[in-house]
Amino acid sequence: MLSIKNLHASVEGKEILKGINLEIKAGEVHAIMGPNGSGKSTLSQVLAGNDAFEVTEGEVTLNGDNLLDLETEERAREGIFLAFQYPVEIPGVSNLQFLRTAVNAMRKHKGEDEMNAAEFMKLAKEVSKQVDLDPAFLKRGVNEGFSGGEKKRNEIMQALLLQPKLAILDETDSGLDIDALKVVSDGVNALRSEDRAILMVTHYQRLLNHIVPDYVHVLAGGKIIKSGGRELALELEEKGYGWLGIKDDDTSN
Amino acid sequence: MKSVPMLSSAFLHPAGETLPEPLLALRKERASALVDMPLPTRKTENWKYSSKYLKLADDMAISLPAEGKTGNSLAVPGYKVVFINGVMIPEASEYPDLDGIQITSFSDLDSDKAKALAAKLGSTLNHDQAQFARLNGARFEDGLFIRLKPGAVLDQPLFIIHETNADASGSAYPRIFVESGANSQLTLVEEYISSGDAQVLVNTVTEFSLADGANVTSIRLNMEGENVQHIGATGVLQQRSSRFESHCVGFGGPLRRHDLQVRLEGEGAETKLNGVVVTQGKQHYDNHTSIDHVAAHCNSEETYRNIAADQSHAVFNGRIHIHQDAQKSNADMNNKNLLLSNGAEIDTKPELEIYADDVKCAHGATIGQLDETSVFYLVSRGIGRRQANVLLTMAFINELVQQIPVEAVRETAQARLSDFFEQTFQEA
Ligand SMILES: Nc1ncnc2c1ncn2[C@@H]1O[C@H](COP(=O)(O)OP(=O)(O)OP(=O)(O)O)[C@@H](O)[C@H]1O
Ligand SMILES: [Mg+2]
Repeated sequence: MLSIKNLHASVEGKEILKGINLEIKAGEVHAIMGPNGSGKSTLSQVLAGNDAFEVTEGEVTLNGDNLLDLETEERAREGIFLAFQYPVEIPGVSNLQFLRTAVNAMRKHKGEDEMNAAEFMKLAKEVSKQVDLDPAFLKRGVNEGFSGGEKKRNEIMQALLLQPKLAILDETDSGLDIDALKVVSDGVNALRSEDRAILMVTHYQRLLNHIVPDYVHVLAGGKIIKSGGRELALELEEKGYGWLGIKDDDTSN
Repeated sequence: MKSVPMLSSAFLHPAGETLPEPLLALRKERASALVDMPLPTRKTENWKYSSKYLKLADDMAISLPAEGKTGNSLAVPGYKVVFINGVMIPEASEYPDLDGIQITSFSDLDSDKAKALAAKLGSTLNHDQAQFARLNGARFEDGLFIRLKPGAVLDQPLFIIHETNADASGSAYPRIFVESGANSQLTLVEEYISSGDAQVLVNTVTEFSLADGANVTSIRLNMEGENVQHIGATGVLQQRSSRFESHCVGFGGPLRRHDLQVRLEGEGAETKLNGVVVTQGKQHYDNHTSIDHVAAHCNSEETYRNIAADQSHAVFNGRIHIHQDAQKSNADMNNKNLLLSNGAEIDTKPELEIYADDVKCAHGATIGQLDETSVFYLVSRGIGRRQANVLLTMAFINELVQQIPVEAVRETAQARLSDFFEQTFQEA
């Protein structure tokens, strides 16, 4: 489904990604771990199309099509979804209006009828229940004043509404209490399917108990330096990153 | 030294003799005082950003005839008074005879009432700051006088539709005077619209005089066309414990100027001024507000937002004057501005003069651009860039639009604003 070959990317002239190679097939769940500042969010943002980052080399294809040629909104419509590490607060745009606009943009792209306010309200209420978010949150500004955990649940809610082909979850587990972690994991597991892939960035093995990955990769210094099965996560938890020849806080490798 | 440009004498000849004698006399007196009215230039402090947009040709001095299409088709959820080119059109107006409430065109006032009005007309304004109110005083041909007796409550909003019919060049001088008795209540909606496309000047004055405990809400929508230069002034006098609330929504044009002056003369008076301005293309809009805290224990709260796209130009000047005896005044002024293009210009200036020592006075002004992170967040959900821009731009003023108390006006404003932004972001 997603194929990343020798991807290099920079921000403000500084190279962050230094040759990423990764193949993700439909139905698979991949976890990416790695020290702070190693480029995990950068990779996520580059895939979603944030043009603050410049791709200097390499290629990325989604089902054979060049992803890097597409605008951010086109990528989303083709099925890329990024759950942000730091979801953005947008006062003045209600969550409901935001979600409906997004869902309708997607439906329009697929040639489906747009949903009217009442239809969408019904759907939104169901999905908000699924992520254990009070429907009152629909009326508030997008992420406005949401707690860290509420923001993460709102991201998963969006994934459930938009039904992406590839969901990239950037630390969707961080800052969650135990119950919320369960809710979010259930949401992600509900997304798992034969024709969908999930790429999740995490620092914690505990998430991987809930969402069992097929592959675990270690990203350090802008490169994937090790890949393995889920046991790699356990090993990392036990030994830290030093074992792989990098310091825990190494960002320059 | 170059001589200062003067208002052309062509502008000194009022038309329309239907006014009662005391008002005709007043108008004449004011016209003679106008003989040497200088036109604002770059050097005129309160016009320095806007004088270049003022283009008065002699043929614009002609009074526009009070005829043409009426705003009849406009259905309003309330009472309605229609003015065309500054003259009331009774056939198009609908309002009942209500106890304790007088709604009369200036032309229909009897001599005694006209005399009483003549004594008050202009008294709410500082004409040195709103020079063009003088021109209106010399030229108005009709007007609307609204008087609420003590305790009277107008049960529905009163819409005053000021339509300018610009089939030929000329000018119109709409005028409103509201006298709100003790503890009376009123919501007034002024809608300025236009038809036709000849070059015209619309020069308005609206005055509110609030007695003790009166409660007045004023909504002003400026939606005139690209051929209209609009210079308006609103004066508000507030007595003890009265409450005034203003919501102005303005769309840019070749020249748009609104002066809003509030004097808090009685203790415990409160005023709240909200304003939204949007400009695009080469449009202009200039809001000058002024709040005088004359008495003690008064509150003022002012929130204005400007959004300027393309090569347009928005100006906000907010003056707060806290007089020596106005102890325990509470004044809060906030102006936020959004620049949608590098070619657009926004000038914002707070002017604070504080002569009392025990006061709270806060002010803030910012000029920013659309937040790229927010745009990215929206488009990453499949929302088109243009729609994302529209959503975020609306969000910038949404808080103020939501506060417009009359639902139909709020919806009109919202729809017009969103059309405006769709247009703004067309090429983007
Ligand atoms: N907009 C930016 N401007 C400058 N530097 C940036 C920018 N964005 C990211 N960086 C730098 O790129 C490097 C990688 O950052 P990134 O956010 O991808 O790390 P990460 O692996 O997600 O870390 P964490 O685990 O802390 O979330 C860091 O050194 C960061 O400071
Ligand atoms: Mg990160």
